[in-house]
Amino acid sequence: MGKKRKHGETVAVASVKKDDGDAAASERPQRTLFGWKDKKNGAQETETKTTTTTTTTTTITAGFRNKEKVLVTCSRRINFRYRHLMLNVVSLLPHCKKDNKVESKESKGATLNELVELKSCSSCLFFECRKHKDLYLWMAKGPNGPSVKFLVNAVHTMEELKLTGNHLKGSRPLLTFSSNFDSNAHWKLLKEMIIQIFGIPKEHRKSKPYHDHVFVFSIVDDHIWFRNYQISVPHNESNKIARGGLDNMTLVEVGPRFCLNPIKIFGGSFGGPTLYENPFYISPNQIRALEKRKKAGKYAKKVKAKTRRKMHELENPLEPDEFADMWKE
Amino acid sequence: MGVQNKGLALLKENKIEDDDNVDFDDEVSKSESGSDFESESEEDEDVKLTEPSKNAIYNTDGILDKLGDISWPENVGWIHKLSIDIDQEQQVDVNDDLARELAFYNQALEGTKKAFEKLQSMGLPFLRPADYYAEMLKTDSHMEKVKGRLLAEKRKIEEAEERRKARESKKLAKEIQAQKQKERNKQKKEEIESVKKWRKQRQQSGFASGEKDGEMDFSFEDGKSFERSNKKRPGVAPGDRSGGKTRQGGKGKKPQKKNFRDSKFGFGGKKALKKQNTAETTNDFRDFNKGHASGNKKRKR
Repeated sequence: MGKKRKHGETVAVASVKKDDGDAAASERPQRTLFGWKDKKNGAQETETKTTTTTTTTTTITAGFRNKEKVLVTCSRRINFRYRHLMLNVVSLLPHCKKDNKVESKESKGATLNELVELKSCSSCLFFECRKHKDLYLWMAKGPNGPSVKFLVNAVHTMEELKLTGNHLKGSRPLLTFSSNFDSNAHWKLLKEMIIQIFGIPKEHRKSKPYHDHVFVFSIVDDHIWFRNYQISVPHNESNKIARGGLDNMTLVEVGPRFCLNPIKIFGGSFGGPTLYENPFYISPNQIRALEKRKKAGKYAKKVKAKTRRKMHELENPLEPDEFADMWKE
Repeated sequence: MGVQNKGLALLKENKIEDDDNVDFDDEVSKSESGSDFESESEEDEDVKLTEPSKNAIYNTDGILDKLGDISWPENVGWIHKLSIDIDQEQQVDVNDDLARELAFYNQALEGTKKAFEKLQSMGLPFLRPADYYAEMLKTDSHMEKVKGRLLAEKRKIEEAEERRKARESKKLAKEIQAQKQKERNKQKKEEIESVKKWRKQRQQSGFASGEKDGEMDFSFEDGKSFERSNKKRPGVAPGDRSGGKTRQGGKGKKPQKKNFRDSKFGFGGKKALKKQNTAETTNDFRDFNKGHASGNKKRKR
């Protein structure tokens, strides 16, 4: 029961936060994260439905500068494997800041929000490990942007020897998305967040000027699958690519691999109103409980069957056999 | 499926009593009534509801609102995003690892080609020149390990290939041997046949031309074919009572071990004389201890 009460509390907090968010939204143009003050009404896909009321003079993006900064942390008592995954992500994103582990408790949202602000970051990746086996990934935007909670599956770190590729540290990745990212509103939102968080800002001081790796984000089976490939093009001279060299370009996987299962999308960062809930999601705890119950039922069933048999035998006693002692004499 | 159905039944049975302790997590969806479970053969056992739960929240307006909030201005250059959308031609089966990975690979490849075209049209450099050295994502020591593993794998394959070849050649040799044997048998048969024929002929002619049988020109008549060939034949000779041991080098050869032992311990001759001292050995003090180091300790004390 205690758990439930807590849940209620978070909802209450969330609603409060939502109010905050709305207030902030109205006065948004003054304190945006990026260099631009004014923005056009809603981006690409959302022309029709956006209710954002930011009126703008369209002095646009000559001065656009992506100043994304990502805070990457994990919870305490994280698994080594998941920690390595986090470190891999850190090494892939030169525009990130790694921070100390954060205790994963109810108030972690507030802590993390504070941390994000302290480190002057605009988004956050939080690797939360529970029970030493389940990894959840929080992807949160800015002071009042949305946040997403994923369950992470099928983790392979970059250290695995079968992933043979290698590329420049800090070169900007190409981001490829499967087309079904545009099918639903929540996928659209996730795509935008991924572009902002995983895309390395242009002319970032730690980034390198060439493109020699490509990220794959693909939705298969309602999960987002992540892959990272090195692009290798055969050179014949020092700098020139062979004619048609682009055609026999090959990719070598660098890693890491993981698969994200979105659980919920919240309106605020680490909290706020729930905008989306995965209708297919079962928590791993529930799965384990189910398995346990399957096993636990075995003995009870056996006992039940035994008693039933006994009852049956009592109810229908065998008829006395008339030939039973025929050969006795 | 049977097991799962049982599990489902159990789940329904026990629903009432453990409704509370299932909810470990705050994001547990509570509408699991009437739901069936299916499992996939992913690396992590990944179970999901087949039927979407009814009261899952989906606030499209809110999502689009947020999307509008966070998204960059519309006319931001592509170079800031570097994102490319690729059509997935057909539905990918998640459980087929190979097909899935192939789909990802194709997506990446296609995307890269498109991106490179765009970059090329912008006139921007995109490939690392061969002489551009910088810090790599994976360290050299790690790449060394990767290389070692690849080499080991290659070696393994080669060895297997060699073994396979040896096996095959053995098989082939066997076949050839059989062929030869067959041929030899055939020849023998033919020869016997010819002899029979010759005899018949002679009988028919009634041994009349006894003096003239010199004109019958058989190859074995010149006496050569009755001589034994100098080649040794395999198998035990008719007069051999040693069971073929004389064949293998005869008496002169001892087994290697015996040879070694003979050279070490001596062979033949009187043993007693060897153990006696002679003038030389009595005067030879080389083998004696020099004394002081490991002398009689008892006496020292």
